[in-house]
Amino acid sequence: MRTVRKHVTAIGLIAVALWTAGCSGTTNTPASADTGPIQVWTMEDSTSFTALMQDFTKQTGIQVQVQAVPWANVNDKLTTAVASGNGPDVMQIGLSLLPTFQSAGALLDLSPYVKDHAGLQSSNYLSAVAADKINPKGKVLSVPWVSDVRVLFYRSDILGAAGISSPPATWTEFHDDAAKLAQRGKGKYGYYIPQWDSALPVEFTWEAGGDVLDANGKVTFDTPQFKSAADYYISFYKDRLVPTASDFDQTQGFVSGTAPMVISGPYLAAGIKGVAPQLNGKWNVAPLPRNQAGTSLFAGSNMGVWAKSKHVAASLRLLDYLGQSSAQVSWFKAANELPTAKAALGDSAVTGDPMVKVYSNQLQDAKLLPLVPKWDKISSAMLDALNSIVLKGNDEAATLAKLNSTVSSLQS
Amino acid sequence: MTATAARREAPPRRVTLRRTWLPSRLAPYAFVAPALVCLVTFSVVSIFVAAVVSLTNLDISGLADFSQVRFIGLGNYQALFGDPAFWEALGNTAFFVILGVPILVIGSLSIAIGLNYSRSWVFRALRTFYFVPAITAIVAISLIWGNLYNSQFGLLNWLLSLAGLGPVPWLTDPTIAKFSVALVAIWRGSGLDTIIFLAALQAIPPEYYEAAAIDGAREWRQIFSITLPLMRFAIFFVTVTALIGWMQFFDEPYVLTQGGPVHATTSMSLYIYQQGFRYNAFAFASAASIVLFAIIAVVTAAQLRSRRGDDG
Repeated sequence: MRTVRKHVTAIGLIAVALWTAGCSGTTNTPASADTGPIQVWTMEDSTSFTALMQDFTKQTGIQVQVQAVPWANVNDKLTTAVASGNGPDVMQIGLSLLPTFQSAGALLDLSPYVKDHAGLQSSNYLSAVAADKINPKGKVLSVPWVSDVRVLFYRSDILGAAGISSPPATWTEFHDDAAKLAQRGKGKYGYYIPQWDSALPVEFTWEAGGDVLDANGKVTFDTPQFKSAADYYISFYKDRLVPTASDFDQTQGFVSGTAPMVISGPYLAAGIKGVAPQLNGKWNVAPLPRNQAGTSLFAGSNMGVWAKSKHVAASLRLLDYLGQSSAQVSWFKAANELPTAKAALGDSAVTGDPMVKVYSNQLQDAKLLPLVPKWDKISSAMLDALNSIVLKGNDEAATLAKLNSTVSSLQS
Repeated sequence: MTATAARREAPPRRVTLRRTWLPSRLAPYAFVAPALVCLVTFSVVSIFVAAVVSLTNLDISGLADFSQVRFIGLGNYQALFGDPAFWEALGNTAFFVILGVPILVIGSLSIAIGLNYSRSWVFRALRTFYFVPAITAIVAISLIWGNLYNSQFGLLNWLLSLAGLGPVPWLTDPTIAKFSVALVAIWRGSGLDTIIFLAALQAIPPEYYEAAAIDGAREWRQIFSITLPLMRFAIFFVTVTALIGWMQFFDEPYVLTQGGPVHATTSMSLYIYQQGFRYNAFAFASAASIVLFAIIAVVTAAQLRSRRGDDG
């Protein structure tokens, strides 16, 4: 009896597999027979995503099971999934983790399916996340989903009281304004540098007109532009314009006015609105201060299909759906995360808010951090070097020279 | 059956049972077998696996596709000894051991002797009070201490400001952070060691103290001539476990500082964790864990040896 049931199951599975394979291979796939259920890993909050999925299920008949993964556990989840071979069907991948997911072989190459799924086509998306920038050559391992960009947050009331009528637009103005604000008294600062933020020195390098990737695609900090970025970073500490405490709370510092200027992403706006609604109208956002350029960090998440997914056709339909402007706009309304689709960014629901306008303008001039597998290690070495200069008083030239040799040995 | 008959029959039956069921020579092995099986599967085998992995280049792509894994000899060890962060972690661990072990052992011993003075309800309540940190979840501890230590809104700095003293960067200054983190660990670890010492203290027959008192020995004399010598084994046990615990120091820096600022509180275990689970450098982390294992094994063996000399 048991063997019979096993045979039936096996035949059923083979049939489904053949069917799925057949469907995904053919050119037109009207209402795929693959109705899931597909498993989706999203980041942090699953309630809003589950609500979005109800609309998807209504349109396609595909059942979706959403599991929220906390950012801190993503790597553990990934290694367990890779080691065991049991993963979800679709997963959200933070751009900083993309190289790890790619080198783990966790993602299915979507390039054969792109032409049949409008939502997968690179031309829909912002140029910072064009297919050739987020994928190894000739492959499509993931598609853009949400974006996030760094802008300057400032307390207009405090800046005004200090005689600063408009937010700083250049590096010099930024440093001068921070100095003015730090003169307000003991325990007051002009700006706040998060000590864990390895992206900031890279942004400064871009703004100085350089890059941290050389012509061969290797990370290098041995450039005059990185040197000026490092000098600029150090100058805020040397002139005591930023707090040195590593446990300084960014939101708290901004709300209390201790650090009335910070460089952060839209999530900080949500945090401020949540903690201090009474500050409404007393703060604003502006594009990053420029040196040679005003380039910011492009962060966010992609969506990819697990390499061993048994529901490829259904997963592709989900990716296609999420790439549509309508889904991205409703996600923006539900979760306040910025779209990556150009059409969605032009939608009146998004452009209506003047702050969002600043974000979406800055998104046009934003770049990704280097997508190399060792970036995490390299960037912590870079951050450690800079922080040992500003916090421990290590010699700048010697520390940076040592950083350069560490970085090249990490990539040899 | 009468009582006498039962008594007459019982002894031979017991003997036959013992003979047929298990030869007495093997009985001890049968009793240790379950523990031994667990030890071998979960410790010896994993140490062996780590030793093998430490000679390869296993990372996350190797985990996905084993054909990419290569033996690279002692390359990981070479890279490890060339990594200044490794030496810093080793130095930090040595600092924590040298600071933590004596304070923990002497501190819990003093607390235990103090608590042993009386059996009144105050002392019993105090006993609970000292044991509470040992059974409190580390996450709760980190939340509370993190808030006490916080440089912006922490309670400690607020109290200092009331006394007219400036703020102390408890967790944000590389040197002070080492002490702050160690303090939490000592506070948390002292509860269990105090209980062990208290149990050993209560096992000392009171007659010894009475005899000593009759002979005119004072409090300090009694502590040094009766209490401490009779607690030698408890002190030895606590020292060995404390030493191993501090060499594997992990929880407090992990939750309070994540090893920062600038690696100042990164212990060996935290270094291994970061290499393995943050950078997915599994083979490199294995090499580091084998080194830590060797250090702990050597130190513990040396301690056991010194104890043997002590007895003989």
